[in-house]
Amino acid sequence: MRKMISVTLRGAGYDVMEASDGMEAAAILKTTVVDLIVSDINMPRMNGIDLTRQVRSGGINKSTPILLLTTESSPEMKNQGREAGATAWIVKPFQPDQLAGVVGQVLSRTKRL
Amino acid sequence: MKQDLQTQLVRELVIESLEGLDSFDSFLLAVEKGGYSDELLNNAFRVIHTIKGSSGCLGLASIEHLAHAGENLMAQVRDGKTSVSGELTSVLFRYSDALRAMLRELEEFGEVRSHSDQGLIESLQAAQVNADALEDSAFGFFEPVEVLPVPRVPQDEPPIRTEAVTPQAKESSPASKAASESVIRVDIGQIDKVMNLVGELVLARNQIVQFSNQYSDPALGNAVQRVNLITTELQENVMKTRMQPIESVWSKFPRIVRDLCHELGKDALLQMEGQEVELDRTIIEAIKDPLTHIVRNAVDHGIESAEKRALSGKPAQGTIRLRAYHEGGQVNIEISDDGKGIDPDRLLRKAVQRGLISPEQSQRMSEREIKNLIFLPGFSTADAVTNVSGRGVGMDVVKTNIEKIGGSVEIQSQRGLGTVFRLKIPLTLAIIPALLVTSGGDRYAIPQASLLELVRIEGDQVAQAVEFIHSTPVFRLRGKLLPLVDLNQELELGGEREPGAPIFLVVLQAEGKHFGLMVDAVNDTEEIVVKPLGRELSGLPVYAGATIMGDGHVALILDVLGIARRAGILTDNEHSDSRVTKESTTADETAETASLLLVEVERMRFAIPLSNIARLEEIPAKHVENTPEGRAVRYRGQIMPLIGVASALGLDTNLRDNRPDPFQVVVCREGDRNFGLVIDTIEDIVHTELHARTESGQPGIEANYILQDRVTSLMDVEQLIRQTRTTARKAA
Repeated sequence: MRKMISVTLRGAGYDVMEASDGMEAAAILKTTVVDLIVSDINMPRMNGIDLTRQVRSGGINKSTPILLLTTESSPEMKNQGREAGATAWIVKPFQPDQLAGVVGQVLSRTKRL
Repeated sequence: MKQDLQTQLVRELVIESLEGLDSFDSFLLAVEKGGYSDELLNNAFRVIHTIKGSSGCLGLASIEHLAHAGENLMAQVRDGKTSVSGELTSVLFRYSDALRAMLRELEEFGEVRSHSDQGLIESLQAAQVNADALEDSAFGFFEPVEVLPVPRVPQDEPPIRTEAVTPQAKESSPASKAASESVIRVDIGQIDKVMNLVGELVLARNQIVQFSNQYSDPALGNAVQRVNLITTELQENVMKTRMQPIESVWSKFPRIVRDLCHELGKDALLQMEGQEVELDRTIIEAIKDPLTHIVRNAVDHGIESAEKRALSGKPAQGTIRLRAYHEGGQVNIEISDDGKGIDPDRLLRKAVQRGLISPEQSQRMSEREIKNLIFLPGFSTADAVTNVSGRGVGMDVVKTNIEKIGGSVEIQSQRGLGTVFRLKIPLTLAIIPALLVTSGGDRYAIPQASLLELVRIEGDQVAQAVEFIHSTPVFRLRGKLLPLVDLNQELELGGEREPGAPIFLVVLQAEGKHFGLMVDAVNDTEEIVVKPLGRELSGLPVYAGATIMGDGHVALILDVLGIARRAGILTDNEHSDSRVTKESTTADETAETASLLLVEVERMRFAIPLSNIARLEEIPAKHVENTPEGRAVRYRGQIMPLIGVASALGLDTNLRDNRPDPFQVVVCREGDRNFGLVIDTIEDIVHTELHARTESGQPGIEANYILQDRVTSLMDVEQLIRQTRTTARKAA
């Protein structure tokens, strides 16, 4: 999954940094400013919702957009994601070019705001 | 072949869906007004359902996707699970606009280029009761966003949607079938072709009719007669197929008014009367934008805010009325509002500020001229440019567009009471009534729409009839100076007029200015088929087209506007070589000199401005009838109310029994109606300077003057008419 995402986004011309779980991601995000965080919800050690909360709680990536990958677009997921402060969601599975499109959308929207 | 079918199906989908969305909008408007019928609701639901179904069948995923989102919500509304009100209608309006935008793209480019508005879909879903059961989106933002396209959805989509669509798509076909049984859609180009052929047939018919007159065979006569009748009927019926009810333009207005009111914080009700009046589709197309502009102006400039309305004692909700009706082979469209009206002082100030007129000019302008300022290019009274209005592109374009199709715009406004725009529009452009004249040996056709009257001057009068002001010929017509244009000279046909020969004047109107066209002879009026000019001639502004006459000869159709421009009757801002207008307008439209009809009522002397007067008539007492609104008389096919000046002004009416029979009636025209002022005797017509003005407190009297050593009261005819009408209405 992670491989597919990074390959897709590199192919679309983005620089991608990978992390194997939420903890690892949180560590990177403390020191590196990024344009967008793409995170699964189900991850070992720290899940996507908790990661989102932590990023939003403060630090250099406080206002970086966060795109959550989810298996279902249920109201519970939406509530959690919204409360945590994530920006957008996309349901798995998706086509690679669909993801690239969504990432483009999220980025362009954030720039506009 | 398969591609053709697809294209055709897509086109049908677009047409059907756009029409459907209009009725969807009317459902929403009904909701906002506080009540809707089940029928409207079911209809609205069916519209969405059909759009979803048909677009699904044709593989238009993004339209289907968006339509689906609204369908679920509408289904809940229909089943009574959700109620539509307030905010939801705004979302649904956006929804209908978004669908419309996609359909337009489809129509224009053959594909949908933008993508469904995810924020909108979310809002629609948020409004549903059990959103989870209907979840179908694959991507979204956590909070609704205003406008955000979503990437194009690939054909192989999550299975839920595909399943949901197939059965419904099948259901949707019977609904559209019902309509298709009695109505077919015909390409407009096809109808235009038929129309052209009918035009040719009419011309051929005219020739045959003339030709057959040379033979006395009754069988031929009968056959020609039949061809004649059938052609006329065919022509009428083909014309009818081109006709569309004006409603097709008006149906957009409730929505426009609503949106504007929301935007500007105003409240206005739109009333419509005469939606069924039909016009040729080319004309419908041509008046769409001008009408929209006037309606927007009515909301923006006309209707005041609720607070201001309350202060001036009006109901908080403003009213905008659209009225269409036939009159004299034309259609009149009135757009009236009960708003603040036009403030002449403000108009003048703005016009001077913008450098459209000089301050000196502003001193001399008559009320009518001031109101016509709004038709000047670059004019705007708005203090700030809003996205509604204030850019000053507008009324001038409205006027030119209406005049382009042979129509006219008139404006009446009363400060504090409202404004009325009256548009006169020809029914069709393809076949028009025209006056045929001869000049320089050739025949010309003049469209009746710009024709006011014909004047024949003969005998002794010929010598004195034409006067010259600064070498410009003018003619005194009922006290007004009428600039003259000699057609022979303008078209450089040559040929001097014999001194003493009768002069034929065709009095024409172009952009509100009157002028007389001198021709050699006036022939006849005829319905002519308008043919465009060939490329070699089409650049000539004095001709509007050509027609073929009964005898097979070609007659050129004169473009009245073009002739007036060429002769310098109309002054463009760039062209200040106005040979005529300045002299003639200042001569009788400034306050100092006036042309007046002097009359006597109850032994008192009154003056009526000639500009108010249409005719002078003697009406036998036995023709006068009583109506609930007072006395009236049948006059030129209309009911003309009679206003007794004596009683209207509250004069002593002891002498009533001695009133002479027939009645002396001054016919005045106000808007499109005639009114008869009953007076005792007509004394004189004078062109005079007005001095020694004394203001008058009496309603219906503008001021008192001393004329020919007698005290003379100048009547305010408009006020007099208004006043009598209101009292009559109250009495009724």
